[in-house]
Amino acid sequence: MTTARGPQTGATLYAFTNEYLTRQYDFEGLLREIARRGLGPGVEVIGFQSIRTFPEVSDAFVERFKELMAELQLRPTSLAINSDRFLKPGQPISDAELIDYHKRQMVSAAKLGFPVVRYQFASPPAIVAELAPFAEDLGLKMGLEVHAPAHANHPMVVAYREMYAKVNSPALGWIPDFGGTAFRIPPSFLASARARGVPEGLIDLLLDIWPEPGAPPERVGKLHQFAAKAGYKPEHVQIVSLAFFILSNHDPKSWAELVPETVHIHGKFYGVDEDGREEAIDYDTVLRIFRDGGYAGSICSEWEGHAYSNADAFMQVEQHQAMCRRILAS
Amino acid sequence: MPLPAETVIAAEGLSVAPDGIRLAVRLPWYRSLPLSTVVIEALSIDGTDVPLDVLRFELDDGSWTLAELADATDRLWFVLDSAHLKMPAGVDLDPARDHVVDLTITIFPPYIPGLRRANRQAETLRLAA
Repeated sequence: MTTARGPQTGATLYAFTNEYLTRQYDFEGLLREIARRGLGPGVEVIGFQSIRTFPEVSDAFVERFKELMAELQLRPTSLAINSDRFLKPGQPISDAELIDYHKRQMVSAAKLGFPVVRYQFASPPAIVAELAPFAEDLGLKMGLEVHAPAHANHPMVVAYREMYAKVNSPALGWIPDFGGTAFRIPPSFLASARARGVPEGLIDLLLDIWPEPGAPPERVGKLHQFAAKAGYKPEHVQIVSLAFFILSNHDPKSWAELVPETVHIHGKFYGVDEDGREEAIDYDTVLRIFRDGGYAGSICSEWEGHAYSNADAFMQVEQHQAMCRRILAS
Repeated sequence: MPLPAETVIAAEGLSVAPDGIRLAVRLPWYRSLPLSTVVIEALSIDGTDVPLDVLRFELDDGSWTLAELADATDRLWFVLDSAHLKMPAGVDLDPARDHVVDLTITIFPPYIPGLRRANRQAETLRLAA
């Protein structure tokens, strides 16, 4: 065991999507509020959410961003990029165009001083392999967001692990997203569904089908089938279907295999209860795996409850970080 | 009220100018998207469908027919910005009473193959000058 202090706290601006979309806080306003409440020092930014000119960034924007980071004593940790292959629905752009699309975003990340770009499964292994030397030249790391339904040993992740082993680039790593190892559907999710009129029978269907094995589309298909037979409203079915895409119930201990190449962590969460525990993700187990494995990089608090709730994201992130500090100190 | 990322009718609502009535609209997603992945699916006012082929979609200084949006792959709708649906001159609404506006916008996020998300919202609005 090492004496590492464990992950360093921070926040992803994605957690504040509702405050941002309702124009209560603009990009600079969010950064200032994060600093004022002590919710840094790490900051993850979603390029296409916060930056008007993305994939490009202007020199003036870069200068302003760096000034703000220095003034607010915040640290850029990860810039989320996107693999927009289907600029027309159903019509993919070519690999060459997609590689260029990634490179433009990576150049912007480097200009802004981000050490990591977060990429998703939409960027296929062959494309990431081609981008690795470019990332090395820029001094960037590329982290795959290992998001539900995936986990360390999921076939989708195995394909990247095999590619990583072959390419052997120091630029390639992982960004665990803990939604893949939830032990249940968050009670706050169910409460929100009920508040929006979802009948108990449909909630029961969700609770029955969600833990079953199988890929999300299969299980959602099954839910839709039963729901159609029972005559539930499509809008209610859409509300409960979200759970299959943001959460799955794999073994949290499986993260151990990814610790050495982890470049950033998505501290996915939905709510912290009165006892200071996450509603659906076993942080006591997961965080210790990273701390005891020697991980001392960044973890951003990613409150995703905004996808179904208008609760105050700043309060949520504050509670999440307090929980993380308690666990890391124990 | 819908969640912010499901909102399609902007707070600015309905307004009238000499060249026609405009409805302010929002992108129902958490990030900016190319206009080519956004479909204005249906609009009705006071229960009457507005024919989609007479509408224009306006964003900043750009203006498109709804059919032209499908080719606008290089034009991003920044997620904080309101766009407008402009009705042709001659479409009139009584400024002295409420109007029920019912709008559906469907998005196809370009990095999630196969995802089609329809967002419908109805609001009772008055014309602003």
